[in-house]
Amino acid sequence: MEHKLGVYICTGCGIGDAIDIEAVAKIATDDVKAALCKNHECLCSEEGHAFVQADIDGEGLDVVALAACSMREKQAELTWGDTWVERINYREQLAWCHEPNDEDTQWLAEDYIRMLGARLGVTSKPVPHIEEMSDRVLVVGGGITGMNAALFAAKAGKEVVIVEKEDALGGFLKRVHKRFPVLPPYEELEDNDIASTVEAVADHDKITVYLSSTIGKIDGAPGNFDVTVDGAGASEKVGSIVMAAGFTPYDASKLTHLGYGEVKDVVTSVELEDMASEGKLVRPSDEGDLDTVVFIQCAGSRDADHLPYCSTTCCSVSLKQTQYIADANDEAKTYVLYKDMRTPGQWETFYQQVQKQGTIFVKSEIKSVVAGDDGGAVVTIEDVLLGEDVEIECDLVVLAVGQVPACKSEQLLKLGYRQGPELPSMDAKLEVKSDDDEEAEVVDRKDEVTGGFPNSHFICFPYETRRTGIYAAGPVRQPMDIASAVDDAAGAAFKAIKSVALMSEGKSVHPRVGDMSWPDFALQRCTQCKRCTEECPFGALDEDEKGTPKPNPTRCRRCGICMGACPERIVGFADYSVQSINSMIKGIYVAEEWEEKPAVLCLVCENDAYPALDMAGTARMKYSPFVRFVTMRCLGGLNLQWIADAMAKGFDGVLLLGCKAGDDYQCHFIQGSELAQTRLSKVQETLDRLMLESERVAFHEIEIDNFGAVPGIIDDFMEKLEALGPNPFKD
Amino acid sequence: MSDAQNPEPELGEAIAEMGAETLYWCMQCGLCTGGCPWRLTDGDINKEFNARKLQHQGQLGLEGYESDNNLFACTTCGLCVARCPRDVNAIDNIRSIRMMLAEGGTVPQSYRPIVGSLTDNGNPWMETRDKRTAWIKDLDVPTYTEDTEYLLYVCCTSCYDARSQKIARAVATLLNKAGVSWGIIGEEESCCGESIRKIGQEELFTTLAEGNIELFKSKGVKKIITTSPHCLYTFANEYPELGGEFEVQHYTQLLAALIRDGKLKMDKDLDLTVAFHDPCYLGRHCDIYQDPREVLAALPGTRVMEMTRNRESSICCGGGGGRVWMETPPGERFGDLRVNDALAHDASVLVTTCPYCTIMMEASVLGLDKDEEIAVKDVAELLVDALA
Amino acid sequence: MSQSKATLVVGGGMSGISTALELSELGRPVILVEKSPFIGGKVATFNKYFPKLCPPTCGLEINYKRLRKAANLSLHTQAQVTKVDGGPGDYTVTIEVAPRYVNHKCTACGECAEACGSERDDDFNQGMAKTKAIYLAGHMAYPHRYVLDKEACDEADLPKIKDACKYGAVDLDETPQTLTEQVGAIVWATGWESYDVSKVDYLGKGELPDVITNLQMERLADPSGPTGGKILRPSDGKEVESVAFVQCAGSRDINHLPYCSGICCLASLKQICYVREAAPNAKVYMFHIDVRAGKYEEFYAKIQADEAVEIIKGKVASIFPEGEGLRLQVENIESGESLKVDLDMIVLATGIVPNTADLPFEATMDDYGFLMLGDAPGIIPAGCVRRPADVATVVQDATGAAMRTLTQE
Repeated sequence: MEHKLGVYICTGCGIGDAIDIEAVAKIATDDVKAALCKNHECLCSEEGHAFVQADIDGEGLDVVALAACSMREKQAELTWGDTWVERINYREQLAWCHEPNDEDTQWLAEDYIRMLGARLGVTSKPVPHIEEMSDRVLVVGGGITGMNAALFAAKAGKEVVIVEKEDALGGFLKRVHKRFPVLPPYEELEDNDIASTVEAVADHDKITVYLSSTIGKIDGAPGNFDVTVDGAGASEKVGSIVMAAGFTPYDASKLTHLGYGEVKDVVTSVELEDMASEGKLVRPSDEGDLDTVVFIQCAGSRDADHLPYCSTTCCSVSLKQTQYIADANDEAKTYVLYKDMRTPGQWETFYQQVQKQGTIFVKSEIKSVVAGDDGGAVVTIEDVLLGEDVEIECDLVVLAVGQVPACKSEQLLKLGYRQGPELPSMDAKLEVKSDDDEEAEVVDRKDEVTGGFPNSHFICFPYETRRTGIYAAGPVRQPMDIASAVDDAAGAAFKAIKSVALMSEGKSVHPRVGDMSWPDFALQRCTQCKRCTEECPFGALDEDEKGTPKPNPTRCRRCGICMGACPERIVGFADYSVQSINSMIKGIYVAEEWEEKPAVLCLVCENDAYPALDMAGTARMKYSPFVRFVTMRCLGGLNLQWIADAMAKGFDGVLLLGCKAGDDYQCHFIQGSELAQTRLSKVQETLDRLMLESERVAFHEIEIDNFGAVPGIIDDFMEKLEALGPNPFKD
Repeated sequence: MSDAQNPEPELGEAIAEMGAETLYWCMQCGLCTGGCPWRLTDGDINKEFNARKLQHQGQLGLEGYESDNNLFACTTCGLCVARCPRDVNAIDNIRSIRMMLAEGGTVPQSYRPIVGSLTDNGNPWMETRDKRTAWIKDLDVPTYTEDTEYLLYVCCTSCYDARSQKIARAVATLLNKAGVSWGIIGEEESCCGESIRKIGQEELFTTLAEGNIELFKSKGVKKIITTSPHCLYTFANEYPELGGEFEVQHYTQLLAALIRDGKLKMDKDLDLTVAFHDPCYLGRHCDIYQDPREVLAALPGTRVMEMTRNRESSICCGGGGGRVWMETPPGERFGDLRVNDALAHDASVLVTTCPYCTIMMEASVLGLDKDEEIAVKDVAELLVDALA
Repeated sequence: MSQSKATLVVGGGMSGISTALELSELGRPVILVEKSPFIGGKVATFNKYFPKLCPPTCGLEINYKRLRKAANLSLHTQAQVTKVDGGPGDYTVTIEVAPRYVNHKCTACGECAEACGSERDDDFNQGMAKTKAIYLAGHMAYPHRYVLDKEACDEADLPKIKDACKYGAVDLDETPQTLTEQVGAIVWATGWESYDVSKVDYLGKGELPDVITNLQMERLADPSGPTGGKILRPSDGKEVESVAFVQCAGSRDINHLPYCSGICCLASLKQICYVREAAPNAKVYMFHIDVRAGKYEEFYAKIQADEAVEIIKGKVASIFPEGEGLRLQVENIESGESLKVDLDMIVLATGIVPNTADLPFEATMDDYGFLMLGDAPGIIPAGCVRRPADVATVVQDATGAAMRTLTQE
């Protein structure tokens, strides 16, 4: 693309003292063919701004390149309306970390100008992909979470469709007799007022409710989901989805070791709730009085053989239920047998309250639960607090069972996505491709039910699932109590609304909020290898019958993983492509062998490695000046061709700096780092062909807060390369 | 399975009814047991007595804690009560369990003669009533009349025990010196009952207390000064619900006021380094920390050292809860810890203001063979020494 | 629902930042107010999050990126809301802005700090280090602009600082400002402080240098912290060979904080991982009443299985100096033994106290000072002012708060 480029070098912050500005300017004007190259002592000042503006106006520049501080600094000041601004890091990644007035530092400065020029030649400003969209919200599940999500969205002015499988709204809450206290003084049980929420939903003119219905299919993409509602025989068009299908209690039939199914007077906490609601707090076996009731916590939870996790609410539910027993019979004695009593926050006060009323709490290991001679049960425990066994005769045993997300056992969304019908869970990992020559394995996930809680970058961005525009909320997302579910619903509804607002402007939703680029596929060259369709962490690509990818821009998160996956290199964004990075590699000046100057290409993840390098520079840490950083949105966009080309051009090594992969991954695109590392392991063949050592290509995991380690990583790599000797492909 | 114990929750309820209101409040965190002064000793009692476990057994109505080294180890020092995160009153709970056992006739061997003595002669020292005023000797001690302002109630220990009598005489001397209107009742007085209540003898306590209340009222008593913080505690906190409402203070409180008002002055330079020990029943139980310190500060030439474990963290002498009457083997005595604490601060006198503390700590001084290095004195005794 | 009026978000920690970004990205104007010179709140001082042991800087970088691009978001640091009048849909708020003495021209080049000789206690590093009187809080400081603690600075240094700045960014004459803004909704996200654990007299009274708080441990373990990530004793700089984590230090305690802060067990488990990595030969203990590991059972199980770590049920009853180190006394409830444990360092898992004293509006809060929805009509609380919570929950909460600003009548 032709551009009218103005290059501006800021000489402030020590930059002017580190390099020969004139020499750089020459590269800009002569080699890169910039319309002009000027310098200024403080580009971020008002004067600096006016300085550049004058040229934009006077010279008609359409691209302004600033060789100044990091792109992470002074963004507000270094903006000129809609003018395309490129940032070259001459401060944190040059003047502050390399020797001033040194030929190698100079060379680095000049290379960055060359790289910019090369890249500009093959990139253009993205034109957003705009579609007509629906801003209606689909809520799957009409329990407390779903109803609240719907109410919030509707109150915010959106039309909402609720699809509920039971014949009435309310979900699990219909079975809840009373609630444990969430309001001060946290001592009394609270009423379960599900009715007023149901009424509010029914009354709201923006909410359509389908009862006794499930999702038949969801086709399309965010902004344009085509929903088939089975049971009602209806279709709806929606823009975003809140999945609030709730939970089912753990199947107690698996808890025979705790007497369930074998001893009549052993019930689950859910069954007890029913008994309380019906006013039938008596022994199931003979309707006898409940004089002694034993609650067993963590029944089938925190147990590798059942549910490995804690459902967080069962302790408080049991506390509540002791009050049911006491209300029905004030002489009753209750025991709570626990591993840990988990009543965080203000729930601790309710725990204290229940203790005051005489319930006995025993930390214990359950040894057996057998039927009593006269009905009831006998629970034998090892009382950890005593260090002795205790045998408790009781009228009823209540097993506090955990929450299992609905998506564990049923298909809820039935998305017509090539990668599978449901939201991928944390248990499910994408398969990564086999060797270059083989065709990708086709994995039929059409009938897949997810493993469990929907995967998300759950700490900092708890709502983001691996499907854009689809948000999970409530216990289907993670075990939670009623109050938290209502909060969760509010957030998910917001996300649903915001996602469509952004997508309707052609913008990416997360994490590259506002990015208007989108991947373009030169399908005429596609060989249907299916790598992109498989590797996209977000299921953005469907396939036609031949296996040709069908992009869905609104599903896309703009990471470029598809771009990296494609062996034919057909994928690219207007401003970020295989060619754009390739051109930068070609633009770098690789010294001839006799000059004895190494050249290293370093691909840098924008999200953690780039900031880490900035911080190393701010701390004035020094490292080798022979490394050329190329910033990537995600190292998952690594295309192996770059390595082949770099090596063929005579680079001595390629280093990748990115985030941690694995179970505790940090990649904001879920698997980018892992994919890059896996692809690298395949590059061995390429290196073998070129007869180069595998150590010339390396991946290092970086954490921003450990930026202090980065210079060492770079220098160690340089040392290794020095030991290997220069790349024989140099001229 | 046959080894398993069967809980009897009704027993737990009964204990709660007896006064262990907070029995079920316990969340079994172990702070009480962890911080208990028995943990600082090394012997059988350390291994056996566990306040947390005891209360759990109480909740479940289980047995197995009845021994002298377990249920009767608690000195009611109150450290656990002060710290308990759930406001559990372990003292009331343990006392209630002791009460339950007492009703069933369980009384530790060492306490039987004490119970007998109190029942027969109104004092725990196996002495007769008429000897109650023997401590007076040739001192000028007024008899309480309707016109007397303060009743001085002398702890049984200081009435009958030879060493402790010196404390009573010292207090009397000071009161006289300051021109206070005070008097004693004498033989008709009975033991205040504080410690006997702690070992579970509720009925005996009530008898003693009601007797005293009637006696005091009949004499027109309004204000009481006690020589012992234990008597102070029970008069102020336990007598009111039995009908005995009196204005009670410990003698150091009065002395502090007298010193502030200039009515008592000590002139002799003692040139002493002393370490002050906060008695549990003055400090933690009655929240009095400053007055005895003010009094000591008025002693010329006396350096008053604060021990590390002082005030609310003060370590019990081991005499409360009835244990002044029970033998604690050497090596397991709290008093030893206190004596060593004082020696670590280069004190030549370990000064306190409770007759039980004096007994226990003197026993430790002798037991540790440190009588050449340190003496145990009551605050009143030091003041008398410093009178011109 | 007012389209044009801005939303005021008070508090620039993770909750405030999240609410502000969500609203701004939906096209709503936002005013974000933070009392200290930098945003990021408490999480910016953490080394890692549980259970992934990932650095907060990772999520903060994305958020700061979003902040830099946010079109209609004004950020005021050094600012506090002192007056709130009006009601939902139409508030008039008064914001007092304390002088930073460094204006927008600052390029963060650092020359001023070089020239400054005066030092101050580094609050970002929880008092375990010093900074110059003109400083940035940590390496991710946002806004990336220096601030001068004038009171900590010697008079003589002031002109040196000013002269060192080539860009005219040091403004020693800056005066406090009062801003008045009309806003349609208010989100209160003022976060928390640690409980002052020196009040718990059996845990060292705050007088023992090697008895530190959980916030201080975060700084020790942070590779960009005052010790470069080494777990060193504050008293003598020695690397630790034994560390104990004491749970419920002043929490679940009627004499201190009666409630449970919910996250300290997980925080200590996380910090155990720090110690295991930085000092692999050290012996580690954790003393607790209950282990409240919430949703992260696998994380807990992994640490339980580590043989170098002893997790013991028993509330620590006393801590005192012993020789060169520390000694801790506790009952091991499961074994019935009384333990005296000698240690190099003790970390007190201190609780969360919400920053809700001196609110500029009427509110009926619970006894613990938590501000709930409805306590102050129209004011939407978010984050730890509502109840103690971990980062994932406060982000969830903050997103919900953004929703509530749109739907409150």
